[in-house]
Amino acid sequence: MFFSILKKDLKRKKTMNIILLLFVILSTMFVTSSVNNITAVMGGLDDFFDKAGVSDYVILEQYRGGAPISECIENTPEINGYKCEHMVYVSEDFFEKDGERLFRSGSSIMVMPVGEGKLNYFNEDNKTISSVDRGDVYLSAYFADMIGLSVGDRFDLVFGEQRLNVRFAGISKDALLGSDLFGNPRFILNDEDYAYLTSDPKAVEGLALNIYYVDTDNIKAVNAALSDNINVVFSGDISIIKKTYFMEVMIAVILLVASVILVIVSFVVLRFTIGFTIAEEFREIGVMKAMGLKNSSIRLLYLTKYIGISAIGAFIGCIAGIPFGNMLIKSVIRKMYFSADNTVLLGILCSLGVVLVILLFSWRCTAKIKKLSPIDAVRSGQTGERFRKKSFMQLSRSRLSTTGFLAANDVVSSPKQFGLISIIFMICTLLVMIISNSVHTLKSEKLLYLFGTTKSDLYISCTDIMFEVDRGTITLDEALAEVEQKLADNGIPGKAHIECIYNVPVISENGKDNIRFQHCKNTKASDYVYKKGTPPAYANEIALTETAAKELDVSIGDKVTIDLYGNVDQYLVTAIFDSMSNLGKSGRFHEDAPVPNTHISGYFDMQVDFDDHPDKATIKERAELCKEIFDCESVMNVSEFVEDTTGVAGALDALKKMELILTVIIVIMISVLMERSFIAKEKPEIALMKALGFRTRSIIAQHTLRFVITGVISTLLAAILCRPLTKLAIDPVFKMLGADSGVGYEIDSLEVFLIYPAIIAAATLLGAAFTAIYTKKIKASDTADIE
Amino acid sequence: MENILEVKDLCKTYIVNKRQINVLRNVSFTVAKGEMVAIMGPSGSGKSTLLYSVSGMDRMTAGEVLFNGKSLSGMSENELSRVRIEDMGFIFQQMYMMKNLSVLDNIILPAVKSKKIKESRKKTVERGQELMRRLGIIEVAGNDINEVSGGQLQRACICRSMINCPEMLFADEPTGALNRSSSDEVMDELVKLNSGGTSIMLVTHDAKVAARCSRVLFIVDGNIKGEYNINREEPLRTRERSLNNWLMEMGW
Repeated sequence: MFFSILKKDLKRKKTMNIILLLFVILSTMFVTSSVNNITAVMGGLDDFFDKAGVSDYVILEQYRGGAPISECIENTPEINGYKCEHMVYVSEDFFEKDGERLFRSGSSIMVMPVGEGKLNYFNEDNKTISSVDRGDVYLSAYFADMIGLSVGDRFDLVFGEQRLNVRFAGISKDALLGSDLFGNPRFILNDEDYAYLTSDPKAVEGLALNIYYVDTDNIKAVNAALSDNINVVFSGDISIIKKTYFMEVMIAVILLVASVILVIVSFVVLRFTIGFTIAEEFREIGVMKAMGLKNSSIRLLYLTKYIGISAIGAFIGCIAGIPFGNMLIKSVIRKMYFSADNTVLLGILCSLGVVLVILLFSWRCTAKIKKLSPIDAVRSGQTGERFRKKSFMQLSRSRLSTTGFLAANDVVSSPKQFGLISIIFMICTLLVMIISNSVHTLKSEKLLYLFGTTKSDLYISCTDIMFEVDRGTITLDEALAEVEQKLADNGIPGKAHIECIYNVPVISENGKDNIRFQHCKNTKASDYVYKKGTPPAYANEIALTETAAKELDVSIGDKVTIDLYGNVDQYLVTAIFDSMSNLGKSGRFHEDAPVPNTHISGYFDMQVDFDDHPDKATIKERAELCKEIFDCESVMNVSEFVEDTTGVAGALDALKKMELILTVIIVIMISVLMERSFIAKEKPEIALMKALGFRTRSIIAQHTLRFVITGVISTLLAAILCRPLTKLAIDPVFKMLGADSGVGYEIDSLEVFLIYPAIIAAATLLGAAFTAIYTKKIKASDTADIE
Repeated sequence: MENILEVKDLCKTYIVNKRQINVLRNVSFTVAKGEMVAIMGPSGSGKSTLLYSVSGMDRMTAGEVLFNGKSLSGMSENELSRVRIEDMGFIFQQMYMMKNLSVLDNIILPAVKSKKIKESRKKTVERGQELMRRLGIIEVAGNDINEVSGGQLQRACICRSMINCPEMLFADEPTGALNRSSSDEVMDELVKLNSGGTSIMLVTHDAKVAARCSRVLFIVDGNIKGEYNINREEPLRTRERSLNNWLMEMGW
């Protein structure tokens, strides 16, 4: 009898059981993929760095005079050992395809022979690249993706007088330079090819670059030892290097958060469905009890069904979860070494976890069976002891149409059911809204102040010109004048300026440290945004970020000693500001500070402000013109500049679209499941309405309208909670990058408050309306079958 | 007298487990305007199926049903809905009502939905209240449906069926779930409505209920086996006794 009841239940509630199965599959898929991904990314980053052999501290050296870093290392007793890679860095002129420059974005490219590699570099299959065939080249994945290179593509490397045709042999997973945030790709060549390419001494002059990997237990001492070495382009401990993978980790974390929310939604729906099924079957349960079946036997009946569904669902979900997880994390896998040893085991464990959670839910829900008595079978589930007021609205007093009234009355009369649906829809909507806000913020000029720049009409990577400044063939002023002259020659006169970076030693009572300072003599220090204090007003005043101030143990009003390439002076800290530059450890000089332009460690994009203050459309046209004038693809307006600097908006954009698709699927499934449940429950009322003369169309409209009302409520709630929850969820991410006070979020009202709610409402409408068509099958004569 | 309902060779077939079951076989009869007809017969004889088929709630397999001279089988679902809401009233054995509405709201629902009587909602409410007053249930107007007795609920169902002033009322065992006292009250109301000109067709097992009608159709195995005209001038007890005798002759 037991299996006969079960068989009939599975047959009778086919749709409900199929939907339940789908939710179990989805839950398992989400849990399996997200747990795998987060384990891979979080643990994988440490594993990647271990396997690559990155030491405790990294120094990038470019010779500008002064003592070589190797000498400094030898003289620092706190350094236990080191290894060094020798290479050259080149401009975008370096490679061509079919006589055309292949890449025009402004990043410096590191070129290294494979024999010089002291780290382990991995190919796409996580195998160490120990040799490179002649004519082959490996390079960082993000760079290959950016310029659209596929394995096997051929192009020319051009260095001075030398030219070499090479084949893109594959990506290299480069622990130090492989992240988007670092932004400097590394080419790995065959030793002989490298020797051939760099055989022109004139071309190599001033472009040698050394990377030191230092073993130490005392980072602070190494910082202090390097603080006044002018050859240091970049220095940082391993934790800072790992932070450059922050955006990759952020994608994984967002995926995890999204997955967790979707899992919660799935579980809530499961719980609702199980609870609903049992509540709906009060009559059968009452009859079974009247026949003398024990509570445990009845509970076992339901549990058997859910064990079956959850086991099948978990098995399918587990298998589907692995490729699904890999698809989600595809962009990260291409940049980092991952060990896939535990994937299957984790998948099985997650699936078992899902089955266990579902069974716990089922066990908890079936506890209601104990409360039901045989009398429920006769009294339609009402014992007569607790009658609840059901009619909340009154048709007699309402001005609504019948359909509108019935829909609204249903919603307010069943607050638990429709409230639950509203919450689920709200969570789904919020998820998309939060990701959308993050993406827009990462592209918006609101973030500009965090990069320590001012707003300009255009941002141009004039690598050619700045390369000459780097090599010392022209001065910075001459470079700026050249840019302005070119603009004027083309009829679009404007002013040019550039943010320069200087690594300078700073001495405070806490000791000596190397801080990255920004300086621009064509802007005023007061043009920038500060969190506390007043902008530096004199040449001997500086502003520091919270992180830098903390490391130096100084605050506003304190004085520090700065050695500006031999010019030692005291500087007053007048302001604290937020910056994501150098992961929050930076400072700003006053425009009149005596900073020698000959010691620039780095620079931002050239900023151009046109004299005639053109509108956005004109700026867009001029951007195209500037690409031709400066022979550079990388000419950006302010939001493009922010997007390019953060480097993650594109990946998040893709994530947002995927999340929207997932949300739409979830919303449709929930609408179908819920509406189908409602139809099953309300069959007598539907039949009665038909008997009274209501048309099917009006019943479908009523059922759909209930979901529309729920959708509107959830959208309104989501709209209210959107800003605070975005701040709550994403602020910690920006804080870790240096924006200590969080950021002002850019909310695209059209997208967040209209397009997404409309898409989700349409999905709801579609799911509910199509399911409501099933009411056609209920006939007026079914009134006779009302129990 | 003019007929409100004409049934010609009505057949209704169900397919159960690939087996054809003929529930109604060439049933033909008429109901005159203002008449009150009872359908009686043993369980499974096709009484309810007949009622649902002739009221357009269920589609017939063959034959023809003319309501006010118009064929129900030729009507679309929407036209049938219009006829049901405007020209017909229904009373069911289980006093089923919309759970989330008060008793008064349940009563006025068909009137608010229908466009038959052009009036304000206030006027509809007044008419609903007037009907409730007439049937003696005005005090439960604002109550939920689970807060009233079975008798009150059935009278509320009668009010609902009458709210659009239908020409004909169909009732499927209207007193089946009621005790004797409530049953009498409900039948009193139906007789009053009939006296006012509303045609009524009801299904019942109860000879006492059928005795208050003007005619009884006795159905067995999907066929009308006999027809009995009741003299409503006679005392109820006499009518009931005569009807019982006839039913016994028919094999009841």
